[in-house]
Amino acid sequence: MIKLNCIPRQVAHVVAAGALAMAGFSGQVAAQEDPIKVGVLHSLSGTMAISETALKETIEMLVEQQNEEGGLLGRELEPVVVDPASDWPRFAEQARQLLEDEEVDVVFGTWTSVSRKSVLPVFEELNGLLFYPVQYEGEESSENVFYLGAAPNQQAIPAVDYLMNEVGVERWALLGTDYVYPRTTNKILEQYLKDAGVADEDIMINYTPFGHSDWQSIVSDVRDFGSQGKKTAVVSTINGDANVPFYTELGNQGVTASDIPVVAFSVGEQELAGIDTEPLVGHLAAWNYFMSVPTQENLEFIQSWHEFKGDTDAVTNDPMEAHYIGFNMWVEAVRRAGTTDVDAVKESIIGVSVPNLTGGYATMMPNHHATKPVMIGEIQPDGQFAVVWETPGEVPGDAWSDYLPESADIIASWRKPLLCGNYNVETGECSGQNYGD
Amino acid sequence: MRINVGYWRFIGMILATLLIGAPALAQQPDADAEFAEQVAALNARSFDEKAAAAQAIADSGHPRASTVLQALIDSRLYFRVSGGDVVLAEPTDGGFALTDPVTGKEAGTATQYEVRRVVINNAIRGQVRDLIARAGLTSADAEVRRDAVRQLLSNPDPAVAEQVATLIKDEPKADIRRDMALVLGLSRLGSGDPAERLRALDALRGSLADRVRNQVRELAANDPDERVRQQAGAMLSNIEDKRQLWGLAEQVFFGLSMGSVLMLAAFGLAITFGVMGVINMAHGELIMIGAYTTYVVQLLMPNHIDYSIMVAIPAAFLVAGAFGVAIERGVIRFLYGRPLETLLATFGLSLILQQLVRTVFSPLNRQVSSPAWMSGSIEVNAAFSLTLNRLYVIAFALLVFFALLAIFKRTTLGLRVRAVSQNRAMARAVGVSSSRIDSLTFGLGAGVAGLAGVALSQLTNVGPNLGQGYIVDSFLVVVFGGVGNLWGTLVGGLSLGVLNKFLEPQTGAVLAKVLVLVFIILFIQKRPQGLFPQRGRAASEG
Amino acid sequence: MTVKMTPSGSATDLIPLAAHRRILHGDLGGKILLGLMAALIVVVPILNLAVPSDSPMHISTYAVTLMGRYLCFALLALSLDLVWGYCGILSLGHGAFFALGGYAMGMYLMRQIGDRGVYGDPVLPDFMVFLGWEELPWYWLGFDQFWFAALMVLAVPGTLGFVFGWLAFRSRVTGVYLSIISQAMTYALMLAFFRNEMGFGGNNGLTDFKDILGFSISAPSTRVALFVASALALALSYLICRAIVRSRLGRVVTAVRDAEPRTRSIGYRTDRYKVWVWTVSAMLAGLAGALYVPQVGIINPSEFSPLNSIEAVVWVAVGGRGTLFGAALGGALVNYAQTLLTAWLAELWLFVLGGLFVAVTLFFPRGLVGLLRRREGS
Repeated sequence: MIKLNCIPRQVAHVVAAGALAMAGFSGQVAAQEDPIKVGVLHSLSGTMAISETALKETIEMLVEQQNEEGGLLGRELEPVVVDPASDWPRFAEQARQLLEDEEVDVVFGTWTSVSRKSVLPVFEELNGLLFYPVQYEGEESSENVFYLGAAPNQQAIPAVDYLMNEVGVERWALLGTDYVYPRTTNKILEQYLKDAGVADEDIMINYTPFGHSDWQSIVSDVRDFGSQGKKTAVVSTINGDANVPFYTELGNQGVTASDIPVVAFSVGEQELAGIDTEPLVGHLAAWNYFMSVPTQENLEFIQSWHEFKGDTDAVTNDPMEAHYIGFNMWVEAVRRAGTTDVDAVKESIIGVSVPNLTGGYATMMPNHHATKPVMIGEIQPDGQFAVVWETPGEVPGDAWSDYLPESADIIASWRKPLLCGNYNVETGECSGQNYGD
Repeated sequence: MRINVGYWRFIGMILATLLIGAPALAQQPDADAEFAEQVAALNARSFDEKAAAAQAIADSGHPRASTVLQALIDSRLYFRVSGGDVVLAEPTDGGFALTDPVTGKEAGTATQYEVRRVVINNAIRGQVRDLIARAGLTSADAEVRRDAVRQLLSNPDPAVAEQVATLIKDEPKADIRRDMALVLGLSRLGSGDPAERLRALDALRGSLADRVRNQVRELAANDPDERVRQQAGAMLSNIEDKRQLWGLAEQVFFGLSMGSVLMLAAFGLAITFGVMGVINMAHGELIMIGAYTTYVVQLLMPNHIDYSIMVAIPAAFLVAGAFGVAIERGVIRFLYGRPLETLLATFGLSLILQQLVRTVFSPLNRQVSSPAWMSGSIEVNAAFSLTLNRLYVIAFALLVFFALLAIFKRTTLGLRVRAVSQNRAMARAVGVSSSRIDSLTFGLGAGVAGLAGVALSQLTNVGPNLGQGYIVDSFLVVVFGGVGNLWGTLVGGLSLGVLNKFLEPQTGAVLAKVLVLVFIILFIQKRPQGLFPQRGRAASEG
Repeated sequence: MTVKMTPSGSATDLIPLAAHRRILHGDLGGKILLGLMAALIVVVPILNLAVPSDSPMHISTYAVTLMGRYLCFALLALSLDLVWGYCGILSLGHGAFFALGGYAMGMYLMRQIGDRGVYGDPVLPDFMVFLGWEELPWYWLGFDQFWFAALMVLAVPGTLGFVFGWLAFRSRVTGVYLSIISQAMTYALMLAFFRNEMGFGGNNGLTDFKDILGFSISAPSTRVALFVASALALALSYLICRAIVRSRLGRVVTAVRDAEPRTRSIGYRTDRYKVWVWTVSAMLAGLAGALYVPQVGIINPSEFSPLNSIEAVVWVAVGGRGTLFGAALGGALVNYAQTLLTAWLAELWLFVLGGLFVAVTLFFPRGLVGLLRRREGS
């Protein structure tokens, strides 16, 4: 097939083949009645597939439902799904593909902070819309991103308030996986606790790597830390896989929820599905949504999820609710704007209010964060949570924490005239991040 | 020494006690009516009301009070969505079987949409535990009394101390008497009379319990009486010295336990790599297959979780071994003498196996329950206890080790394996079927990896990535210990575990691991043949 | 292959100028590769920048960046083939050199952000401000200068390669043992870089780059320039590798691969030859990483993961070990296949990749190049 003595033709061959391949990259010819394209940027393979696959399916379900109701602006919605395979550079690459080649109107996606950070410059450069569904560390507000997960003040701080005021905790062990979300959360909490009069020696902070599995020494340290006579609690920002061995070790070393309760920010219904929850009963989690909340909206959502999955045991969780809210907000904003144009939607979405699944409303605020209720749930033997405490109303998300010295003076507002993601109220400057240049 | 038995066994005992020990009182109708009202109040709106209801139930003296309270903390108390009646519910296939909490009679069935759990929080759970413990103090069953005193020790109440003071005289069991004395001593430390406090200090001498230490520390710092302060100070430093010593013992135990996991994971590799010279990068996935086998066995016998692991051990060995034989026959036998190519091919297999598990079982982690007899711990004293599951894993690792030794040293198979590994041509000349031996040896190594999977399923996540975390460690243990030598793997695994655990407090978990890795890299430069060098096929090839 | 072994000569007379013309003598694959690079360097910028975007011949910036990425992987594969194909050293840790080169470049790009970071600190990168660090750690000094960073891109992987190689080869750690400890090396580095205390941004790594040498990093022209740089780097590196393997040094090294004890007994200090080639290879891998980072916009510790290094070995095996151009081809092709397959059938990718490993080792031990050659022969 290949003649090895004819070099120029060879090159021509290869180049032609390359050009054909590239034509494949550069998008398809548009159909006559353009559907509205909804990009889905979640890992379907690799380590994060375990969490992100359900979110991809959530968007597919919501798109399907929207189409059954006649679509949006008289047009069909069409999901465009890509797989960044839990590889951070590929997230940026696929984001570019979605925005540049597929020309999607909106993107729902990413889970980890590093994947969001990886795609952020792409969304800003190409002026896309990203709806981010996971609780995160805050300290960010981009013109092109809407943060539907909890900021630290919508999860961590109310949880600590609950433990301090309702349970009477005086000593705090802050355990986390070594990455930016636990680091920020713990930094905020440390400051918050100190402001509340907790002494230095009553705070213990420990970081472990991803997937840490030998918890013997750390649990032993925690037990010792908690045995000094003051009521002690663990605030856990331990991520995903490391939780099972952690809780197992707690159980085996005889640390029960009534001795030292653990409140977790990354353990939800889906994570518990892989754990024997019997020894965990009474440990806590703080979220903005629990599957066990018995509202009509939630029961309907669970039911359609079960139908969509064809599995009556499928669980729902907080990031899924965040996608539900985000999707509905975007739909409403497009309706108000009468177009899917990114700049028009960015403007019309601020102030949009849609029902959440727990009987309240979520409103998009000028800092691109939403209002959310905060609930504390105790783990039950069947892997569900029973809500034991709830904030009286919805808490607005704070992009820049007031408890970190470097961001205390910073606010974000994407409403005119400010239009700035990090405006320093002291200096009156929109410091850092010069978007758009 | 005392064994803290599993949760359900404890409940079973309480129930048994109630059935046998509770006097068959003629039930008063109006007492029942009042009791029913208190039970109904457990489903009140606020946690304060619920707590009050629990207290009232405990005070009622009703014969079914303990049953209801136990059900409450075990999350077996439900209420009907329509009507709000409180019922006891046991899950069945299609929903729940209900029992009337007041009469104990059957009350029909319900689907999961018709009943909801009575929600309590940790405070109520703790309160109810104390209430049950107090009732248990006078139980005829020594086990119940023991647990009751334990519960009180962690949460003493001056009112109970008086009761204990009278009970201690008639207590037949020495260890329970000792715990009761601690409860008494602790409550008397708060006495107004310095002499009484001194006596209490004397009574507490020798105990290393947290609460004793905390209260002694309090006295050493703040007691108005000079003599009490002095004696408490002396006791405190004694307690702290001893606890430090036991802390060291604990570190060694943690290290051995970590090491036993390392060596268990590495044994299979010690055979395939050490004896046969095959670089099997799919080793981690064979471990994973063992863990998934445990999960499947558990699915197949849902009512016998406690024994399923006994079935899982041989099953995992066979399943992983079968995979091993298949891998050897299908791929590896074409690649003997090309170790680097074997490495690549088996790495490919590991990717395929991982994806296969994802496709068959979903990418989510699977839940493997621990049998009751494996949870809990053996308490040597208040400062040092051995967690049972870790202890079993250490024992299991040693058992596997000695079994392997026996196979290699005592059986014909072992003899042949060694013959083939030392001189293949000569072994064939004397009539050993070397290709059959290769299959069997590889199968054995794979089977042992499967056994490691059973052990790991008790310690960590059972998911598609399970094996990946152990492959690098396993290779390093084998190379560190010396290829082709099981003793090397044993010593290598254990010493790396202990080294890691002694570094961890100073450096943190990550840096400890990095330092151990750097140590091994440097060690191999110095002694490329590992701790226990031995010549096998692998040693001569490169 | 016949190897001429003469105990004279040393590592210093590497590339005699006269040899320059002979470098590609009889190397058809190399000529094709260089021709292809030349064509890409000319064609891609035109199709991306000059051809209007609605023309079917237009190449989007996305595709340019993607191809640039493949070229970086091809360069990594090339560097790996130099040691594996010609020295017989199977490195399972080349990803470490790649990542270190990437980090060196990333540090330069971070310093270029200046006060445009989230917290607006003129010197400290955002993550340091956030961790509460007061001043730049010493190892970040100098990275505001491009020449320094460019030097470090080669020097850091080179130094690590030299130290590691010197220790390992001197004590005659070979074969499988070397593979395993090289894997341990990259694994240890991964764990270390995940630590936030290390000062390299922990899990989030280095990202949010703004510009390089004063040009905006997201501008299409910059991206095309980076692509051209990658193609040039690949072509140049190919020539360097080719020169090495054609030189006397290269022949000694090949002899080491085929019979190290014999080579040693003739009087060659085999460990020195190996260290030398190993170090060059590490530097080339570092270069690949440095070109990769500005194109993908992020570097994080997962680049150190042992899996990445093993994957690179497979690229080489698929392309054809010991041919250099085959390795480069493999690096680009396997990644292109991954892009295509994960888009269509995400679940299938690992089956395909795994199957590729097995099939190549069992049925095509000489890779794609071997397959083509066999066809030519028949």
